[in-house]
Amino acid sequence: MAVKKDYKDQNLAEKLRDRKYYAPDSNPEFLKEVENIGQTAAHMCYQCGTCTGSCPSAPRSSYRIRLFMRKAVLGLEEECLTDPDLWLCTTCYSCTDRCPRDLAPTDAIMAMRNLAFKRDIVPRNFLQTVQLIYKSGHGVPNNDANRAARKKLGLEEEPETTHKYPEYLPGIRKILDHYRLKENADRILAEGE
Amino acid sequence: MAEVKKNEEPRIGVFVCHCGTNIAGSIDVKEVMEYARTLPNVIVADDYQYMCSTPGQNKIAEAIDEQKLTGVVVAACSPRLHEPTFRNATKAGGLNPFRFEMANIREQNSWVHMHQPEEATAKAKDAVRIAVAKASLLEDLVPKSVPVEKAAMVVGGGVGGMQAALDLANAGIKTYLVEKSPTIGGRMSQLDKTFPTLDCSQCILTPKMVDVYRNEGIELLTYTEVEQVEGYIGNFDVTLRKKARGVITPEEAEARGIVGGGCTGCGDCVDVCPVIKPNPFELGMAPRKAIYIYHPQVSPLIYTVDFDACVKCGLCVEACGDKKAVDLEMKDELMNVKVGTVVLATGYDIFPIEKKFEWGYKNYDNVITSLEFERLICASGPTGGHLVRPSDGETPKRVAFVLCAGSRDNTGVGKPYCSRFCCMYSLKHAHQIIEKIPGVVPYIFYMDIRSFGKMYEEFYYRIQDEGAKFIRGRVANILEDPVTKNLHVNAEDTLLGRPIDMEVDMVVLAAAVQPTAETEKTRRLFGVSCSQDGWLLEAHPKLNPCGTTTAGVYLAGVCQGPKDIPDTVAQAEGAASAASIPIHRGEVELEPYFAQCIEEKCAGCGLCVNLCPYSALSLVEKDGRTVMQVTEAKCKGCGTCGGFCPGGAIWMQHFATPQIVAQIDAFLLGGEQ
Ligand SMILES: Cc1cc2nc3c(=O)[nH]c(=O)nc-3n(C[C@H](O)[C@H](O)[C@H](O)COP(=O)(O)OP(=O)(O)OC[C@H]3O[C@@H](n4cnc5c(N)ncnc54)[C@H](O)[C@@H]3O)c2cc1C
Ligand code: SF4
Ligand code: SF4
Ligand code: SF4
Ligand code: SF4
Repeated sequence: MAVKKDYKDQNLAEKLRDRKYYAPDSNPEFLKEVENIGQTAAHMCYQCGTCTGSCPSAPRSSYRIRLFMRKAVLGLEEECLTDPDLWLCTTCYSCTDRCPRDLAPTDAIMAMRNLAFKRDIVPRNFLQTVQLIYKSGHGVPNNDANRAARKKLGLEEEPETTHKYPEYLPGIRKILDHYRLKENADRILAEGE
Repeated sequence: MAEVKKNEEPRIGVFVCHCGTNIAGSIDVKEVMEYARTLPNVIVADDYQYMCSTPGQNKIAEAIDEQKLTGVVVAACSPRLHEPTFRNATKAGGLNPFRFEMANIREQNSWVHMHQPEEATAKAKDAVRIAVAKASLLEDLVPKSVPVEKAAMVVGGGVGGMQAALDLANAGIKTYLVEKSPTIGGRMSQLDKTFPTLDCSQCILTPKMVDVYRNEGIELLTYTEVEQVEGYIGNFDVTLRKKARGVITPEEAEARGIVGGGCTGCGDCVDVCPVIKPNPFELGMAPRKAIYIYHPQVSPLIYTVDFDACVKCGLCVEACGDKKAVDLEMKDELMNVKVGTVVLATGYDIFPIEKKFEWGYKNYDNVITSLEFERLICASGPTGGHLVRPSDGETPKRVAFVLCAGSRDNTGVGKPYCSRFCCMYSLKHAHQIIEKIPGVVPYIFYMDIRSFGKMYEEFYYRIQDEGAKFIRGRVANILEDPVTKNLHVNAEDTLLGRPIDMEVDMVVLAAAVQPTAETEKTRRLFGVSCSQDGWLLEAHPKLNPCGTTTAGVYLAGVCQGPKDIPDTVAQAEGAASAASIPIHRGEVELEPYFAQCIEEKCAGCGLCVNLCPYSALSLVEKDGRTVMQVTEAKCKGCGTCGGFCPGGAIWMQHFATPQIVAQIDAFLLGGEQ
């Protein structure tokens, strides 16, 4: 357990916060859940860093996929789920491609995102994406600039998706409703206002 | 035919071992012992902490004597571990050692059913009951002694094979050293210096090569491969293929009546030969002719014609002149040798590291392997010892070393094991460039530095002190700048937690090692197993690291698993010593599990003769009848013939039909006979 220190200055208190790792901080169930949802043996990670070295997000942010693997192994649930970096994975799967232990770090991240969502910890832009998908079937819907570009390339203005076949939108909405994704996104966004 | 002694009245003793808590931890030993007392023919049952200890063994001997036992059952570990121990104890009690039967209640029971004590105990009772059923029908058997051929063979002439051959020959044993390439020396002759002492590899190897060549006890057979193997310990009958070399030795010339002829190694032929090929010894980085030697220190110093490349212009024949050493019509020759024991020392290959696309080997000019580095840094190598960039011949100033390249890799593309010498040779490489190139910086990308040997950690200390930079992170990928041909090494410095994009002039991949392509063929010829990763399998990883499960065949060097030169030489000396024991004893005992012909029942049909995979059977005339006869020394007791014979005329000693039926009955009928 973190030791309480009493500094008058808030900044100093944060700076000198006790950052040791204590065994009781660990929730071993967290590792099991991540492995179950992500279907990858995260505990076999040997911390080589191939994943971070492959990650397009790493050089542009403080996101270190290797550290998430480490924290999963140690069961540091709070640290993982409350870290905004969790949402910086682009799901490019470069790390999964190259991991010499044949793990899927991407899927471990996805598992953690699932667990975070269960606790309503989701960045607003992700929730807005949910709303957009509900509305249009796309996370990034088509727009006029895109339409012009497509035309220039000799393509149809609308792609072969719900944009062209809106009759399939109800199906997509049914899936989102089934998982109460839209409902939850609306709720969390409203609460945050 | 051995006398088939039926037991008038079987009297069996059963001994159940606790093995500390190994067995007693999950099996109720007392209950199993009490149960044994209720079984038919069991006269005495006992249990003990450690049956293999002296008091444990004494229990067996005493019970045989006091109770006039006809058979002994020990329920304990695997027969592979202690069958010989208990056979000796049985013998000490005055009974034929083959009257002993073992019930494995450890490896096949307590260890696998650790959390099911009740089921484990029930299974142990089954095992004991089955063993008692067999023990009741066991008969006296006498092992067969066969003389051992006073010669040995070593396959592979790397440093391991050379050492084994020298030791065997120096112990007074005629030794055939079979090497598939035109010279002995193996990988070690491709190395520049050797860690951790940094002696020049050729300087310490060449004298050994000369010793091998000169040793009267060694018959050196280079450019030769094993074609066929027959026989067994003490009597291996090996067919060798002496590949057509196109050049004859002075001895061969003498035999052909060419006075003063044969190859002297002058090399006059090379200059005239018009065919140019890459030299595999230099990993293709230097040319050779169709008539060639790998390097100046080859042993034997005899040229070789590459008949796949030779255009038969005959210029070399002319250049060679009166020595008449070149024979372009030479054909492969088969030769036969008989040896008592064999040492396999066939070494290793480099994993084709281009399969790991992310590192760009064979795609980017300036990404090389460590073995190529050895040739480039070696004074006798293709660049005279100057490390240069293949793209432009410039001297690199920033060199990245990628450790564990393809080792410790579970993706399926790569090897799961540690290749064991790449950490150390990469440290050596860092030292070599610091020594040769002013201002150079070696960057070593590593996960762990494994410097476990004597003076190895000290070597690591030294190289760090010399200025090598260590970055703890496995290299994710390498990209090439298409203009400068410089390389961008991407990794994470895991200690800083920061991604790196490091621009360097050259990258050296410490590529994994793997068994050679022919290992599979060689091991099948000699009946040796391999482990999951393809390396040849030792008889026991701790207690018998030089032996194999095939009696009379031993292992030395990297063919058994990655190891550096000190370990290779040590294992070679161990293998040579082990291989010399049967030869010095002069005879070996074969387990008497031979097939026997029950002549009254044999119809002389001969169908079994062709079935035997070891050619151990033949038909003979006896008392006016044709019957089958077993050559016991050839029979391996596999049971093929015994299972087949339509007349039931073949008796498999120690695995006879009545014995096996009794075991099955005991299992199925639960003790009721
Ligand atoms: C880049 C590099 C650097 C190294 N540096 C060092 C170092 O500094 N110090 C150190 O201690 N170790 C070093 N090593 C390890 C060293 O190379 C090995 O320990 C050593 O060569 C093992 O010897 P060996 O006899 O087992 O096998 P090899 O050297 O591979 O010899 C095997 C021989 O058997 C022959 N052969 C193979 N198959 C057959 C067959 N079927 N029939 C007949 N002949 C056959 C081969 O032609 C070869 O001559 C290095 C390795 C590499 C790759
Ligand atoms: S690449 Fe795999 S083994 Fe290496 S640190 Fe990342 S998850 Fe762990
Ligand atoms: S999948 Fe995510 S964590 Fe993995 S390399 Fe891509 S962005 Fe990074
Ligand atoms: S005969 Fe063959 S080996 Fe001899 S010089 Fe001509 S090409 Fe070369
Ligand atoms: S010896 Fe070192 S570089 Fe080679 S595989 Fe083992 S840990 Fe990796």
